[in-house]
Amino acid sequence: MELELGLALPGSDRTPELGVHGEKRASLCRKRGVDEMLAKATLPLFIQKDNDEDGDDDSRQSKHLQELNFSGSRVLVGWPPVKMWRRKSDDCGRRRANCVKVNMEGVAIGRKVDLCLHDSYQALFLTLGQMFPKKQHDGEESDAAYYKVTYEDEDGDWMLVGDVPWELSVLKHQHKKAK
Amino acid sequence: MVRGFGWAAAFPDEVWEHVFSFLAADADRNAVALVCRAWHRIERRSRRRVFVGNCYAVAPAAAVRRFPEVRAAAIKGKPHFADFNLVPTDWGGGAEAWVEAMAEGWPHLEELRLKRMVVSDDCLELIARSFKNFGVLSLVSCDGFSTAGLAAFAANCRNLRELDLHENEVEDNCLNWISHFPDSFTSLVSLNIACLEGDVNTSVLECLISRCPNLRTLRLNHAMPLEKLVSLLQRAPQLVDLGTSKFSADHHPELFFKLESTFAGFKHLKSLSGIWEAGPAYLPAIYSVCESLTSLNLCYATIQSPELLKLVSRCKNLQRLWVMDLIEDNGLIAVAASCKLLQELRVFPSDPYGVAPPISLTEHGLVAISAGCLMLHSVLYFCRQMTNAALLTIANNRPNLTCFRLCIIEPHTPDYISQEPLDAGFSAIVESCKDLRRLSLSGLLTDRVFKSIGASANRLEMLSVAFAGDSDAGLHYILSGCKNLRKLEIRDCPFGDKALLDNASKLETMRSLWMSSCSVTLGACRQLALKMPRLNVEVIDERRGRPLESWPDDFPVEKLYIYRTVAGPRSDTPPCVWTV
Repeated sequence: MELELGLALPGSDRTPELGVHGEKRASLCRKRGVDEMLAKATLPLFIQKDNDEDGDDDSRQSKHLQELNFSGSRVLVGWPPVKMWRRKSDDCGRRRANCVKVNMEGVAIGRKVDLCLHDSYQALFLTLGQMFPKKQHDGEESDAAYYKVTYEDEDGDWMLVGDVPWELSVLKHQHKKAK
Repeated sequence: MVRGFGWAAAFPDEVWEHVFSFLAADADRNAVALVCRAWHRIERRSRRRVFVGNCYAVAPAAAVRRFPEVRAAAIKGKPHFADFNLVPTDWGGGAEAWVEAMAEGWPHLEELRLKRMVVSDDCLELIARSFKNFGVLSLVSCDGFSTAGLAAFAANCRNLRELDLHENEVEDNCLNWISHFPDSFTSLVSLNIACLEGDVNTSVLECLISRCPNLRTLRLNHAMPLEKLVSLLQRAPQLVDLGTSKFSADHHPELFFKLESTFAGFKHLKSLSGIWEAGPAYLPAIYSVCESLTSLNLCYATIQSPELLKLVSRCKNLQRLWVMDLIEDNGLIAVAASCKLLQELRVFPSDPYGVAPPISLTEHGLVAISAGCLMLHSVLYFCRQMTNAALLTIANNRPNLTCFRLCIIEPHTPDYISQEPLDAGFSAIVESCKDLRRLSLSGLLTDRVFKSIGASANRLEMLSVAFAGDSDAGLHYILSGCKNLRKLEIRDCPFGDKALLDNASKLETMRSLWMSSCSVTLGACRQLALKMPRLNVEVIDERRGRPLESWPDDFPVEKLYIYRTVAGPRSDTPPCVWTV
């Protein structure tokens, strides 16, 4: 069975429940307080393996592309079955932001970026450029050329942002690092 | 002229054509075509409507050749689960092949309805230019086009009656596309632009509406401010179907009064939707039309229960209600008491990814509706808890259900009182509701429920399964039963090779089967493809590793889409899709 450890603020509920087949299901974290900025994400320290090499059917877990949104709850792709289009137009503060945490090398505090507010890599780089301090250089404006942005994919590898088409990447990205 | 021998020759072809014109259902026309050669010939020449449930099931040219006199066509592309991001965006479903074939072979085409297809701007222009009498374009859940394409379409369509854009992903790159309708264009009856994100020029729209006296349906998008909406609507008091824009603004008594009197002016309004972001301030402006409404779609209106209750209890003639779970149980109890003619209810989750549900919508609401609304036959219900007892009650109350889709948001949720699986509840539904055509399961379910479904759901045509079952037996029960099953979609269930291979021939009686995150191996797919040449077995894998041929038989298949086809393997598969 896979073990999952999490980092969370003291006091946030994290009671793992056992599913019918004995697999551990982490229950959804309860949001404390209205201010989303204060809620911390819990990050799995061990990424679940896709294939059980020993073919153990009992602990077989469905393979999901796993995202963590900023309130720490794990979200399955395509579940609940609510149409993408509905989600997009469902604003009024109830919209689920597709937030990603971005850390810059040498900067202590990470920032969060809502991928839903961006429709392309250019837009994302622009925002990142505004969020993080620039090094001293000749007032060059091309942020995309200046920063190297990488993300961690589901296999735990650090990939360069920009390979995958934007729409696909919005679903997959967990964690970004800017250098 | 009389042709051929035998009894079919007793009447001239025109007489048979006239007789066949009373057969609306495709199934009936298909049956007629099998009787004899003469009828086959006469039927195919006189068929006016064609429905292609899977765009890859037949080659466009073949369809066009067989039915040369078609005036209305409806085509569907991607599998249903594409709505929930489970299908890669480049999977396929492109409309060009069809539009090109139709432009060649059906110059008199008047209506085209496409669902879940990729439609390019060029396609739109081709449609507008190729069909002289083109009257109806409906695009549902499509993508690939932009407002520039719409502009080209608008400019070239002279006799357009209906433009229905429903939940499409449309790129906004042409601000004033509506102004491309020529000034001489007056034939519009129905316009639905609710899915467009950008602003629409109100004065251009007003002009269009003023010169189209036959306009019956107008569904606007979110962007238009309330004041502009009011002046627009005053030009179309004859509307039967209205979708408003944003229904909130700073409170001005003047504006409220104008809105209220505009609605009072609608003498024929039957259907109301839109109402985005409605606040309690402006909602009462609608009250005057409530009594005459038969269809009310509030699923974008984040109105709270008290206001919803006041609104819905006035709608005594409502047949269809789509609403958010903000209506809560007591709102549904009020609906059950007031809306005695209700046939269809859909309750959507206001906070599907939320953690602590503050919403008091439970199984009680649905039970109340099932008891109070005797004509209820179609249900879509998102909730967080359910019991077998509630499902049993619903089944007993409403044996006339034809569509029952229940989505308990957390997977594997048991009966919250008994902690049992919900097998008994769903079994009761399929056993009691003999005309059930569509069913979606959720909650904790074992193989037992599939045994009931396989045995009892004789009219079932579409089944959606997620996070259910214990073993292959579950899938076997469905495939060996369910005589009329057409579409089966499964995700995250422990169903595998044996059930699939044991029931291979069943798959050719169905339109399609989708399985994702199950236990199917590549070897089984290979065997299936070998055994059933008239199935396309598509393996979808987005990791883009080595090609399919090099993988071993025990390779687990992540996503599988199987469909019957007379067109053979398709030639437009993207890199992540392999036809085995």
